[in-house]
Amino acid sequence: MLRVEGLIKQFGGLRALDGLEFELPERSILGVLGMNGSGKTTMLNCINGLYHATEGSITLNGNDLIGLNPAQVFRRGVGRTFQVPRVFSQMTLWENLAVPLLSIKMTRRDKDALRTKWLKKVELYDLRHNFAEELSGGQQKLLELARIMVSEPRLVLLDEPFAGVNPSLARLLINVIREMPKETGCSVILVSHDLTSIYELSDDIIVMHEGRLLAHGDAEAVKSNPDVIEAYLGA
Amino acid sequence: MNELLLQGLINGIILGMIYALIGLGLNVVFGVLRVVNFAHGEFIILGSYAAYFLQRLLGLSPFLAMPLIFASFGVLGYLMYFVLIRRLAKSDDPEHSSLLVMFGVSIALGALMLLFFEADSRSLAYSFDPPFLMFGSVIIPTTKLVALGVVLAITAVLAFFLYRTLPGKALRAITMNRDAVQIVGVDLEQLSAMTLGLGLGLAGVTGVLVAMIFPAFSPFIGQDYTLIGFIVIVLGGLGHPVGAIVGGIIFGLTEQTAQVYMNGSIASLMGFLLLIGVILVRPTGIFGREAMK
Repeated sequence: MLRVEGLIKQFGGLRALDGLEFELPERSILGVLGMNGSGKTTMLNCINGLYHATEGSITLNGNDLIGLNPAQVFRRGVGRTFQVPRVFSQMTLWENLAVPLLSIKMTRRDKDALRTKWLKKVELYDLRHNFAEELSGGQQKLLELARIMVSEPRLVLLDEPFAGVNPSLARLLINVIREMPKETGCSVILVSHDLTSIYELSDDIIVMHEGRLLAHGDAEAVKSNPDVIEAYLGA
Repeated sequence: MNELLLQGLINGIILGMIYALIGLGLNVVFGVLRVVNFAHGEFIILGSYAAYFLQRLLGLSPFLAMPLIFASFGVLGYLMYFVLIRRLAKSDDPEHSSLLVMFGVSIALGALMLLFFEADSRSLAYSFDPPFLMFGSVIIPTTKLVALGVVLAITAVLAFFLYRTLPGKALRAITMNRDAVQIVGVDLEQLSAMTLGLGLGLAGVTGVLVAMIFPAFSPFIGQDYTLIGFIVIVLGGLGHPVGAIVGGIIFGLTEQTAQVYMNGSIASLMGFLLLIGVILVRPTGIFGREAMK
C-alpha cells in the first residue's frame, strides 16, 4: 500500500505540489490526469527520489521513502519509466535488462528466466541481441517497462507510456500493464493524457490541478465531476 | 616499403598505445563522472616518481611496482572523489567546474612535486638484455616492446572489466544514461568513486611505462601528457574507451611517421594539425556521438 500525505514540493516561489494526499492499495492501478504543469511528473519524481519533497510523507508498505535517493527507492521496490524513454542505447536489449538486476541477489539462471519472461511479454525477445538504439521510440518504451519489471517492483510509476507510441504497440502496452498487478502483485501509478487508456486501465483515478487533488474516484465519478469538467475536460 | 617509414610506423603504434592508455584514463573518468581531469598528466608523473623511488629505496622492479602503484593510486582516487569531486558531479555544469578545480589540482601537484622531488630530471634505471631487438632492418628497443605488451594486457583487462563484469557494465550504463542508472538501483556514488580510482590507477601505471620508455621525467612535464590525453580523446571521441585507443594510435602514427620526413618540431605540429582537421570535419571525434562543448 502506497500512502501519500500532505505532499508539498516548492521550487523557489512556485508550489508544484500543494498538500497532495491519496492512497493506493496493492494490486491496483491508479490513473493520474491533469493538464500540463498540474504536478503529475513532479509527484512521480518525489515518490521515486529524483526530487526531495519539501513537506509531507510518502510510505510504501509502511516504509518511509522521503529522503531516499532514486537507487535506494528502487531497492525498496519502486520502478519508474519516463515520458522520453531512457534506455542504455549502446547496450543490447539483453544487457539493458541486466542492469536493474545488478543490485539484486538471485541466481544467474533466475535472472535469465526473468529477462526472458519480460522480453517475451513485450514481444522484444527476438531482438534481444540488438542494440537499444536500433529500436523505435515505442519499442524503447516497451523495453523500459520490461527493464523495471525484471526487478519485480511493488510499485510501478509510468509517466506517459502511450505518448508517441503507434496504436498496435500502444495496445500491447495496455495489455501488459493491465496484467502486471494480477501477475506480479504490484501497484501501478499511470500518468497519461490518453483518457481512453486511463479509463480502460485504472481502478481509481485522481485528477490534479495546480498541484492539488481536484477529484478522486472511479472513471464514472471523475467523468461526471463538475470541477473536472470545468478545469480539465472543458466540456 | 621505405625502412625508415616502417620504423616510424612501428614506433607510432607503440607510442600510440601509450598515448591511448593516457586517453583511456581520462575518458573513463569523463564518461562516468563528466569530470575533466586536467591533473591527469601530473598523476602520470607522480606514477613515474613512485616507480623511481620504489626502485631506488626498495630495489623494486618497475613491473612489480606497477600493481602497487595502481592499487595505491586507485585508493587515492577513490578517496579524492568523496573529498573533492562529489560536489562537482552534482553541479549544473560539472564539465566546466571540474576543469577549473582539476586545473588547480594540476598546479598544486606540480608545485608539490617540485618541492619534494626538486626540478632535476630523473630517469628510471632499467634495461633489458638485449636492449634492442632486430626484425630485419627494423630496430625496436626491448623496453618499448615490453611496454607495448603491458599496454595491450591492461587494455584487454579493462575491456574485459567494462564488457564482461557487472560493475563494468554498470559503468558503461552510467556513460549512456546517468539518470536511468539511478532509477534501476545502481549505487552511483560508489561507482563514481571507483571510476576515479580506476582513472588515477591507470594514470599511475602509465607513469611507470612513461618512465621506462622516455629518457627522463620532471615535475614540469605533466601538462604535456594531459594535452596528449586530450588530443587522443578528441580524435577518438569523448567518453568512448575504444575511441581512446584508435585516437592514440592515429596520433602516435602521425607524430612518428612525420618525424621520418620532417624535423622534430614540425613533426610534433602534425599531430596538432590532425587534431584541428578532425575538429573541423568531425567535431564529435571518430567514435563520439554528442557534439563537444
